[in-house]
Amino acid sequence: MGKQLGFVQLPQTALSVPTVSMPKVVPMTLLKIRAFFAEQRYIGILLPLFILCLWQASATFKWIEPVFLPAPIKVIEAFWYMLTQQDLLLDIWASVFIIAQAFAYGTLLGVGLGFAAGLSRKAEMFFSGTINTLRHIPTVAWIPLVVIWLGLGAPAKIVVLAKSIFIPVFLNTLQAIRGVDHNYIELAQALKLNKRQLVRRVVLPAILPVVMVTLRYSVGLSWALVVVAEGISGLEGLGFLIFRAQNLLMTDQLLVCMVLIGVIGFLLDRLLLAVQNHLLRWQRGFGGRYA
Amino acid sequence: MLEVRGVTRRFGDFTALRDASLDVGAGEFVTIVGASGCGKTTLLRLIAGLDKDYTGSITLNGERIVGTSLERGIVFQEPRLLPWLVLWDNIAIALDNTLLSAETKKEAVAAQIALVGLTGFENAYPAALSGGMAQRAAIARALVGHPSILLLDEPLGALDAITRMRLQEELLRIWRHERVSMILVTHDVEEAVFLSQKIVVMDTGPGRVTAAIPVDLPYPRDRASAEFGALKHRVFTALNDNAALKKAEIDYLI
Ligand SMILES: Nc1ncnc2c1ncn2[C@@H]1O[C@H](COP(=O)(O)OP(=O)(O)OP(=O)(O)O)[C@@H](O)[C@H]1O
Ligand SMILES: [Mg+2]
Repeated sequence: MGKQLGFVQLPQTALSVPTVSMPKVVPMTLLKIRAFFAEQRYIGILLPLFILCLWQASATFKWIEPVFLPAPIKVIEAFWYMLTQQDLLLDIWASVFIIAQAFAYGTLLGVGLGFAAGLSRKAEMFFSGTINTLRHIPTVAWIPLVVIWLGLGAPAKIVVLAKSIFIPVFLNTLQAIRGVDHNYIELAQALKLNKRQLVRRVVLPAILPVVMVTLRYSVGLSWALVVVAEGISGLEGLGFLIFRAQNLLMTDQLLVCMVLIGVIGFLLDRLLLAVQNHLLRWQRGFGGRYA
Repeated sequence: MLEVRGVTRRFGDFTALRDASLDVGAGEFVTIVGASGCGKTTLLRLIAGLDKDYTGSITLNGERIVGTSLERGIVFQEPRLLPWLVLWDNIAIALDNTLLSAETKKEAVAAQIALVGLTGFENAYPAALSGGMAQRAAIARALVGHPSILLLDEPLGALDAITRMRLQEELLRIWRHERVSMILVTHDVEEAVFLSQKIVVMDTGPGRVTAAIPVDLPYPRDRASAEFGALKHRVFTALNDNAALKKAEIDYLI
């Protein structure tokens, strides 16, 4: 038996050499496509596809008047028209520019003051009353005053949105610092870490999960507010376009803006999610492998 | 070297530790055994300098202990590694606030990782370490600053019997290699007899030291030998006396 097996196996192994090396020459893209199907990642695009089909069907079978819901192809045409004949890219840029700046200022201020208040009870007492009052004034209520001060341009919107990002970031940073496991603080004490080392090595990483979730949450919220703010005032940006399209009953352009707002919001969140996954790569939480 | 004299620690009305005294010589290996809640952790925290709210005196080499110091390394009841740092950084962090050169630090960390047998796991996050590995990492972190005394709070308490015995051998090896004094808290009488030169027995209600039993068996110790058994018996008796006394009190109260 053993001899026979050995005899049979010899040519097999000789043959198997090229087959084994085969997968190595398969290009990465192909492997990715394979993984896309093998790991069922495609289920994420099933629902959008279904909605698109429904939409197309409603146009083909005239369920809805085109004025109210133009066919997908008309919307794509409108998108192309806005891109080539109008300043769609500039408008997108105007909106993204506002949220990017608002995000930077709001986050810096929120994390900075949050740390100050988190590390010092005195600073907390100094800030928290004011901030807890300000936070009850809705962002939209700030717009008129800030527009009177700063005009219709980008600065007014940046200020308003930075404030709407600042509030949750500040509050959650403060709360997260208060919640840092006391055992870690005691460890830092035993290791004789100074204040700077304590913050950098212990407090900052410990609160990062909370801060990252807050950032993603508030960026989503502010992205929606950009649209509102641009709709209320100003002459550029996706929010401006969408309300103009409504006034002119250009439903196709309106839908272009809606889809763009959704897609850009999605991409912003994905960007932050990637940052979060990188910064929190040490975390091993619940992977969601139940069903 | 370390002298604890008449130390009392109260939490409000509750006396966690009353009039505790303890001596640890240079390079001596002392274990503390006692029932849960008898103030073992409390005493260790006082020696570590994490808790300064006591009466009595604790001195190291004649100097009163004020606050923590790298001179006194501590291993907590759980490994307490920082989950966001890889193993290497978790150990190197103990040298963050020292004036050593980067080169010296690197050597010290590598040597300590080798000593506890974790070479090859330098870049692993704590989530990827087993319980025993994490505990060894915690020991390495406490040792890397070359303390003159190492305080261990039930470091092997949560491990299985086999890992536990292996780590006991490792503790002895580390102790001999580093010539460091050790105070090890444990629930396990056999562990105490196997490891230490002196066993301090504590009791609850209020927490206090009730006996100090010298162990002069030569190393390495044979767990199956008659002398080993006799010593274990002595420690058990000391612990049981505590329990028996308490039972008598209860009977009397009834
Ligand atoms: N910060 C604190 N505040 C109030 N009581 C405390 C505090 N720390 C400890 N105690 C009390 O002091 C007593 C001794 O606690 P300690 O942690 O020293 O016990 P232990 O001997 O280490 O027990 P174990 O073996 O279970 O770890 C306990 O009754 C506990 O409730
Ligand atoms: Mg304890």
